[in-house]
Amino acid sequence: MIRYYGGKILIFIVSIFVLSFLVFTVSRMAPGDPLVSYYGDRVEKMTPEEREHAENRLGLRDPILTQYQRFLEKSMQGDFGISYKYKRSATEVVLDRLPYTLVLGGVGFVLIFSLALLLGIVCAVHEDRLLDQIICKVGTVTSCIPEFWVSLMLILIFAVELKLLPSSGAHSLRVDTLSDRLLHLILPMTVVVLGHLWYYAYMIRNKILEEIRRDYVLLAKAKGLSKRKILYRHCVRNMIPSYLSLMAISVPHILGGTYIVETVFSFPGIGTLAYESARFHDYNLLMLLSLLSGMVVILGNMVAQIINERIDPRIQAKEAMHER
Amino acid sequence: MNDRFQMVGILKKKTASEVKSHPWYKEHPVISEVLLGLLILGCLFAKGIMTKDPTYMDLLHYATPPGKEFLFGTDTMGRDIFSMIWYGGRVSLFIGVLSTVITTVLAILVGSISGLASERVDTLIMRFTEILLAIPGLLLIIFIQAILGQANVFSISFVIGITGWMSMAKVIRTEVKQLRDSEYILAARMMGGNFFYVLWHHLAPNFISSIMFMVVMHVRSAIVAESTLSFMGIGLPLEVISWGSMLSLSEKALLSGNWWIIVIPGLFLVGTLVCITQIGNYIRKRGNTTQSVL
Amino acid sequence: MSLIEIKNLNVNYKTTRGEVHAVRGVNLSVAKGEVLAIVGESGCGKSALLKSVMGLMPANAVVTGQVSAFDRELVSLREKEWQGIRGKQISMLFQDPMTTLNPTMTIGSQIAEALLIHHPKMEKEKVRKRVYELLSLVGIKEPEVRAKQYPYQFSGGMRQRSVLAIAIANEPELLLADEPTTALDVTVQAQILGLLQEIQKKLNMTTILVSHDLRVVSSIADRVAVMYAGKIVEIGTRDEIFGDPKHPYTWGLLRSLPEYSQGKEMLFTIPGMPPDLRQDFVGDAFAPRNRYALQIDYEEEPPLFAVSDTHKAATWLLDERAPRVDFSAMDMVHEVSMEEHEHAPRNHGEDPEKPLVSINHLTKDFELPGKKKMTAVKDVSFSIMPGEIFGLVGESGSGKSTVARCIMNAYTDFEGEIFYDEIPLHDRMARRRERRRLSTERQMIFQDSASSLNGRMKISDIVTEPFRIRHEKPKRGSLKKEAAYQLSYVGMDEGYLNKHPGELSGGQRQRVAIARAVATDPKLLIADEPIAALDVSIQAQIINLFKHLQEEHGFSILFIAHDLAMVRFLCDRVGVMVDGEMVEMGETEEIFANPRHAYTKELLAAIPKIGKERP
Repeated sequence: MIRYYGGKILIFIVSIFVLSFLVFTVSRMAPGDPLVSYYGDRVEKMTPEEREHAENRLGLRDPILTQYQRFLEKSMQGDFGISYKYKRSATEVVLDRLPYTLVLGGVGFVLIFSLALLLGIVCAVHEDRLLDQIICKVGTVTSCIPEFWVSLMLILIFAVELKLLPSSGAHSLRVDTLSDRLLHLILPMTVVVLGHLWYYAYMIRNKILEEIRRDYVLLAKAKGLSKRKILYRHCVRNMIPSYLSLMAISVPHILGGTYIVETVFSFPGIGTLAYESARFHDYNLLMLLSLLSGMVVILGNMVAQIINERIDPRIQAKEAMHER
Repeated sequence: MNDRFQMVGILKKKTASEVKSHPWYKEHPVISEVLLGLLILGCLFAKGIMTKDPTYMDLLHYATPPGKEFLFGTDTMGRDIFSMIWYGGRVSLFIGVLSTVITTVLAILVGSISGLASERVDTLIMRFTEILLAIPGLLLIIFIQAILGQANVFSISFVIGITGWMSMAKVIRTEVKQLRDSEYILAARMMGGNFFYVLWHHLAPNFISSIMFMVVMHVRSAIVAESTLSFMGIGLPLEVISWGSMLSLSEKALLSGNWWIIVIPGLFLVGTLVCITQIGNYIRKRGNTTQSVL
Repeated sequence: MSLIEIKNLNVNYKTTRGEVHAVRGVNLSVAKGEVLAIVGESGCGKSALLKSVMGLMPANAVVTGQVSAFDRELVSLREKEWQGIRGKQISMLFQDPMTTLNPTMTIGSQIAEALLIHHPKMEKEKVRKRVYELLSLVGIKEPEVRAKQYPYQFSGGMRQRSVLAIAIANEPELLLADEPTTALDVTVQAQILGLLQEIQKKLNMTTILVSHDLRVVSSIADRVAVMYAGKIVEIGTRDEIFGDPKHPYTWGLLRSLPEYSQGKEMLFTIPGMPPDLRQDFVGDAFAPRNRYALQIDYEEEPPLFAVSDTHKAATWLLDERAPRVDFSAMDMVHEVSMEEHEHAPRNHGEDPEKPLVSINHLTKDFELPGKKKMTAVKDVSFSIMPGEIFGLVGESGSGKSTVARCIMNAYTDFEGEIFYDEIPLHDRMARRRERRRLSTERQMIFQDSASSLNGRMKISDIVTEPFRIRHEKPKRGSLKKEAAYQLSYVGMDEGYLNKHPGELSGGQRQRVAIARAVATDPKLLIADEPIAALDVSIQAQIINLFKHLQEEHGFSILFIAHDLAMVRFLCDRVGVMVDGEMVEMGETEEIFANPRHAYTKELLAAIPKIGKERP
């Protein structure tokens, strides 16, 4: 048991290191000028000596390995350096904006997966009947629309035309009440949920339908179980493990997917931050963000794996079948 | 009366008539196919349909609502939206297709190698793929694109192409693994067929059908990706017309109430995507035929 | 007093390829405590019949007619009303226990569920006791431990016992069993049948059993109904049906069993194939396969004629105007369609004393996930002489398939030696050198014809594949001619050349596989359970084909099977394998008459005997 989890933790740590190294080297080798983020347009007017001086100051002239080493030492202590653009500690910048993304993504996550389960079950129960068909068609259309367009349309309708909801930001200027924040959250949240909901709902619907067609359903029916009981006690129950592992894998997906929404709604989360740091070669910020997202990705993967290997008796059954 | 009771034994009867096959249009998503077909034709023959030169910026008539002269109105730079739709559609579709080709080739390569390789190599490749898969695709694209900077049609296709192969590769690898031990492959090997023979004649035809659905869906996500990128400003530059770049100006249009700049290209975009999705779903449904017992 | 009466039952259901008339006007009644068996081949509608008695047909099925039991009319019942009946008054046993048990629930909880549905207020303690009681009743030892286990931890036999426990949990009055032993090994089958009989007697449970296996039916049934193309064609007591069949189909079915053809050249076969139930029948559905068909059989459907109070058959032969026919006298033996073909010389020029295949101390291990090792084959040695048919019998997991694959070099990492005609197959260099010979002279036929033929290839391509792989010119000139020739050789006409395997029946697919194997004029043919998945009447056809081909070509056959009667008919020598070891080997008659090893004795004893009287 301990060996199992210990092994996983080890893999986790190693992966993080590998990831950090990769991002480090790749970002530095990409075309583009990091000085731009620090100095802005003044860069163009600098003389070669001034450039050299600036680069030395920022430690950009040293060989890559040295730079990486320095990075490792500092990051172990929690110091991720200074964001070139914001001229503050990278950690500060991130921490400032992280909560917003967490709220948007976190609440969105919960909403998506609970609604998807409901919707999926409803569709499966009414398979091929009118309700299912309507939901499927609507779902298909909504899943096709690019997020940014949905955002635009929603802003157009609710903010511009109807003037019901705010069109940007996390809260109004100089106002900081809970209800105000909630208002600002509604539209972006809707986009986030709409964007992913149908994908998962459809998957659940199909998984349940698959379960229904298995032979043990026939036996359950022969025992005298009602259709409803069979559905919930057997079919839905059987597909829960794979649903859980799906959820685990989707965490990074949804958290990261808030980026577009954040941009359109000018929501101050870390999504826009990620884009900027990549674009403008704000290395320190980039590193921190990559490491964070990397950890989430790998963690999500691992949790999914653990669920699959330990909790789902069917996987164990398949293993056992190999022995025959 | 008694000759009816004569023993005649087995009379050769005509073999039962072939089961009536369904007319081809019965289960196809006809509407989607027709619409999509019309759209593609329209884009291909854009030059014939366009009423105005889409690149010409008629600054006198900038931001005019739809009317007789400009069927869909003009954008903030005075370009006729109607013509831009057909002209830009080519670019969007092209990118969609090209990136899908790249993705498919990559997926087949990685998937086949992983499926046929030893246990260890397979696990390694799959773990790598899974981790890549967990990274939200769009983010990855944006990331890479942001690093690369400027973009043209080909580089965008390339970026979208190399970030989408993971899920397809997984499916191919599973199929190949199953097929590998299947008996007719065994039979082929016993007849003396070498590796490539088996790959070409037996493996490929079989997993092609299972990825058909994914290929079609990928065209869809590629088009979405391109439009999102262009909207963000890191996709195609304004001068290159695509549905995405048309929408990149739309943010400003919001506040000035020029709804047609956003709505019309968006509708075309969504419409195309829905058609593609319907076709994709139809392909997927063809695989499932069992009846429910409940 | 009949417990259940079925009148004029019709079941139709729609599929994407047309409407299937699965059950066409069936009349049956079963007395209390009686065991009625319904015999028929695949596609005759017996499964549909059973399922509709319990209302288990899918929603797209239309069931009309009357099924009267427990003072109620079952056909028109609604779902809610069924829930009180299913599992309580009527229970069902299914064919494949692996898939009919929920893999994610423990056995105990699944049995408990059956109890709690109908006795929702039962206390936990009581439920648990009853579960243990039931498990012991069906012969599962240590029920306390077993109840907490999952289906995958049970063997096939134990799983079927569990399903039986679920079925009898509430002591139903009627038990429906749909091919309950088909998926099991012979020895396990015997145990389960014995168990069924014991429980049936103890509970005085009326049972309707459906099977295609005549031997199973013979050992357990009181009355037998024979079903063909959705209708009951003959019904009577067990002795009447097995001793004095009146319908030509019944008689043909019995006669095709290898037990009745021991010592003869060929097995008796019913020509043709079971019909497609999508068509409308004119006259007797069996007529196109009936040697004794009368003109009227093609025009009007025969009613049930009474042979005695209990024995009825639906054949015009029983009409007083029909000619008298004595089945046993007319013993036509060979198939009409097999013509003489030019064939390769019988003797390939080998020394009949030297073995074609020699296996010395073959051992094969498999590595399992989790670093465990499984030994599939342990120190097996035997040899196959040229021109002989060697039978390899054993139950699933005995290793016989593995041996075959080692001989064919599907596996190359085994220990021990295998020689094919003096070529050491365990030596890589030798295999390389003799690649050409090895790939033409050794061929294999698999059990599941559906997966051994590439579903996307046309039949003509499949049959000529060996030639295309080696870029050889076939003997008949063109590939097309070759394909046509090979097909006719196995009794199929040219029309099949352009079809795909999916459009063929199991028997036809197997013929194609045989054609493909024989096309290269092999010296060794390995057949791995080639007939297990086929209907009884088709099995005989295929076996005859094997024999016919072997006589013409003179190749050796390694025949792997678990149907001992077939093996006895076909093979010259037999080897018996258990758990990877070969425990007995020798001349067929010797082994069957004087089995020495305990396992062989057990195996032979487990075969239900077909006889005119019950033993």
